[in-house]
Amino acid sequence: MEALTTFAQLLASGLLTGLVFALVAVGLTLVYGVMDVVNFAHGEFLMLAMYAALGLALVGIGPLLGLPLVAIALFLFGIVVYRLFVRRLLAGPPEATVFGTFGLLVLLQGIAQAVFSSDFLSAPRPPFQGTIRFAGLAVSQATVVEGIGALLLTAGLYAFVEYTETGRAMRAVAEDRIAATLMGIDVQRINGLAFGMGAACVGAAGALLMLSYPVYPTAGASFALTAFVVVALGGFGSIQGALVGALLVGMLEVFGGYYLSPELKMVPVFLAYLVVVLLRPQGLLGRR
Amino acid sequence: MRPHLLALGAIVVVGLLAVAGVHDAVLLDLLFTLLLYAVLGQSWNWISGYAGNISFGHAIFFGCGAYAAALCVTHGLSPWLAFGLGALVAAALALVTGFPTLALRGHYFSIATIAVAALIDAFVRVSPWLGKANGFELPIAPGWANLQFAQKGPYVVLALALFALVQLATIGLERSRLGYYLRALRANHAAAASVGIDERRWKLIAFAWSAVMASAAGVLYAQYNLFVDPPSTIALAISIDIALIGVVGGIGTLWGPAVGALVYVVLAKGVALKFGGAGKGYDLVIYGAIICLIAALRPRGIVGTVVDAIRRRRGATA
Amino acid sequence: MPVRRRCLALAAALAVSAIPFGRTQAADQPVIVIGSILPLTGASAQTGAGLRAAQQLAADLVNGHVSYPLPMVGKNGLPHLHARIKLVFADSQGKPDQARAAAEQLITQEHAVALIGCYISSTTATASQVAERYGIPFLNPDSSAPGLTARGLKWFFRSTPSDATFAENFYQFFADLKRTKKVDVKKVAILGEDGLFGTGASDAEEDIGKHRGYDIVTRIAYPATTTEVNAEVQKVKSAAPDVIMMASYLPDALLYMRGFKDQNVQPKAIMAQDAGFIDPGFIKAEGADAEGIFTREVFSLAIKHRNQAVPLIDQLFRQRFGDKSLDGNTARDFMGVLVLADAIDRAGSTKPDAIRTALAATNIPGNLTLMPWKSIKFDAQGQNEGGAGIIEQIQGGKYETVWPFDIATKASIWPMPAWKR
Repeated sequence: MEALTTFAQLLASGLLTGLVFALVAVGLTLVYGVMDVVNFAHGEFLMLAMYAALGLALVGIGPLLGLPLVAIALFLFGIVVYRLFVRRLLAGPPEATVFGTFGLLVLLQGIAQAVFSSDFLSAPRPPFQGTIRFAGLAVSQATVVEGIGALLLTAGLYAFVEYTETGRAMRAVAEDRIAATLMGIDVQRINGLAFGMGAACVGAAGALLMLSYPVYPTAGASFALTAFVVVALGGFGSIQGALVGALLVGMLEVFGGYYLSPELKMVPVFLAYLVVVLLRPQGLLGRR
Repeated sequence: MRPHLLALGAIVVVGLLAVAGVHDAVLLDLLFTLLLYAVLGQSWNWISGYAGNISFGHAIFFGCGAYAAALCVTHGLSPWLAFGLGALVAAALALVTGFPTLALRGHYFSIATIAVAALIDAFVRVSPWLGKANGFELPIAPGWANLQFAQKGPYVVLALALFALVQLATIGLERSRLGYYLRALRANHAAAASVGIDERRWKLIAFAWSAVMASAAGVLYAQYNLFVDPPSTIALAISIDIALIGVVGGIGTLWGPAVGALVYVVLAKGVALKFGGAGKGYDLVIYGAIICLIAALRPRGIVGTVVDAIRRRRGATA
Repeated sequence: MPVRRRCLALAAALAVSAIPFGRTQAADQPVIVIGSILPLTGASAQTGAGLRAAQQLAADLVNGHVSYPLPMVGKNGLPHLHARIKLVFADSQGKPDQARAAAEQLITQEHAVALIGCYISSTTATASQVAERYGIPFLNPDSSAPGLTARGLKWFFRSTPSDATFAENFYQFFADLKRTKKVDVKKVAILGEDGLFGTGASDAEEDIGKHRGYDIVTRIAYPATTTEVNAEVQKVKSAAPDVIMMASYLPDALLYMRGFKDQNVQPKAIMAQDAGFIDPGFIKAEGADAEGIFTREVFSLAIKHRNQAVPLIDQLFRQRFGDKSLDGNTARDFMGVLVLADAIDRAGSTKPDAIRTALAATNIPGNLTLMPWKSIKFDAQGQNEGGAGIIEQIQGGKYETVWPFDIATKASIWPMPAWKR
């Protein structure tokens, strides 16, 4: 009986953890889907968003109220980074986007360390610090709020890409850049928008993560590594795939940690990545 | 080919003169570090430059050599054996991880290398026979038999020999069937495959040799520092340094890694001297900015850009 | 007593203004170079900057003329050698290979007669090997990996206690509680991050606990950069320990606190190996839930009850270092410079052999240090055998010293209060 309760608890924790991973991963998959770029600095965008959310919290604007502000700020930041930097990478050889965004990762971490120091900073008294209990299971309120945020964000992004004019243009660019240009779509504008929206998603994620994590210059790095695996599992570019991949990774990590060994809990996650990219390189729900 | 051999010969002569004439331990230390990084950069260049599979986990092969040396010494064996043992393990690791992953392209491969490196790191940290997080400290016992020296000179000579070997091998690679195939695969894998080039086979060969070179550098590193632990040998940060060296110098070029290592060592020392006391992340800011600038403006790196310029010049005069 | 303290405070203020004067006056004295290796860039750069300031303060006080109840301070340098000491700093970047190069540079180019450093255990390991090779005394005031003094090095001395001592302190504390409060601890769970720090601390806690007959119900190592600890918390819950010992950084410490509260893991005490649990962010983030957490410390301003120099040195340090108070690391490094100065002076020579012999004969009573130590006396391995830690408990939002009892500021609260939700 106790083993059963533990299993149920791990299941609930794993699913919620997965939703938190989805929160971070959804912006990454959008950018990849539209322009074939894996933004290795994705975690550093998250870190910047967390600092922004912290700044707002310090002047009394809580995470939920601050969320749209951080998202807009990151949206603008994303467009600037695209215009000044990523656009040039796309014009170069294919490996330029890999090591270029990697350079951005190093640069942003360095700037954060120079400006904010490497201290851990937490939001002052964030809301949702209680526990929700039902049927012998317990989950943290903050995680539930983050999970709901992940679901709303995924649904919103999916609806945007499927049902709006701009979203359709994004899909057209994703499918065939040249054909899209011939159809009169301004590819640079769509790319910039997509990059900005990816950054806005991670901005929203950063605001929510301040409910339960401190921020420091490498705070985004561990989330990003998981996000890469999540996006690859679900299928690079597939928004609903990111959600499925994230839930899978969350459960693998939690169950692996309990039944295998906590220090080896990333092993099943990385093995899953290797197995999926080898057997089904397009990912579980990816096309192509 | 001639000018490359002459240049290499000149470097070896200058290096030997430096060993004979310079007794400044700090300068010799810089020289050793420079040569070691140049070897690591070239090793990375084989798989990421010539073959075009960008690796962010190359430190695991460096770690093979370093841990082989540590294990040999702590088990009472000669560290010279570590060159062979480390190479065997590194090559085996390259074949086992490369067989499934080398066919992956772009970021798929890059992320796979991060994942494999993270798995190896976790494995080392739970393995008591690999020293877990504590690593190994090697006892002081100078002598040629122990591959350990009280002076810097012999270390620099060994690093110079390794560097020369690796450069010779790369000159050979550029003129060999393997080199042509790799470049063909990198330029257009579909076209290369259609004329019957077996991508997996040739890339596996390059990957294995690349791993062997990095492992040899690892043996020298361990014997030089007499200390081996996960953060100093197999961590992601080391892999990033190796890739940085390869990218800055110019990927897929013969002299790129050496130039990249030079820039890296000068920058690392310069930044530490200039901003050392301030204790902020300026070093990261500068490295990051350099990689970003190179990626955006000169994706072929320093040597690649120079080579292009020379070619254009020749084209114009011819 | 208050009058005397005010006088000393005045003296401290004077000392600061007098230091430049002392320097010019002593300019014709010979200078003895001590090389210091610290992480001045990289991830630990901030700690490194504090350590550097603390060491420099100690050197300035040795060269100055204002005395405190501390060894070698206020004698205008080293009286037996009629010389001043000078610290030359080199950067380890927190990396073992850079630390080795830095040691090489300090010995061969700066002609340091002794080395001090390097805070991060792996850098101390490589730098001290260089010192061993050159036959130069190496004093390590601030690295706690137990293995450092088990290497049989001849030139290596460590003034700080190691993780083994800190783990031992936890069990001594339990024994004292059993005697005074009839508290009985049986089942211990050990949690630690999987790096050098967590592994070393957990190993010591496990070995000593087993040796003393405690039931180690679970031992968990987890990746320090993890983003969730659900499985770990469930494992601890299943083990139902009396006490949880933890070696964690701040982000993971906060994750565990959340997990324990959610899953109702209610031990009688949480015994932390400082790090995340003494980070200023810990009490800020946890608020009332931080109440009752125990953590080991190497230093506390409460030691003023033993040595009244503590608040004065703290004041001088704050004037120099952005109003940051003296802490465990800076206090240990401050003492390290004094220990070296004391040995070099007693050696009466700058010959490495003489300094080594003098270091080995060091005998400084605990009440002449800033630390909670019994004494500074090195055993055959070069480990200070008089080292000891203190145990603090968070009470009323502050860290109160609760052990050893003679410097305690508050009585301990056992068991810790139940989680507030």
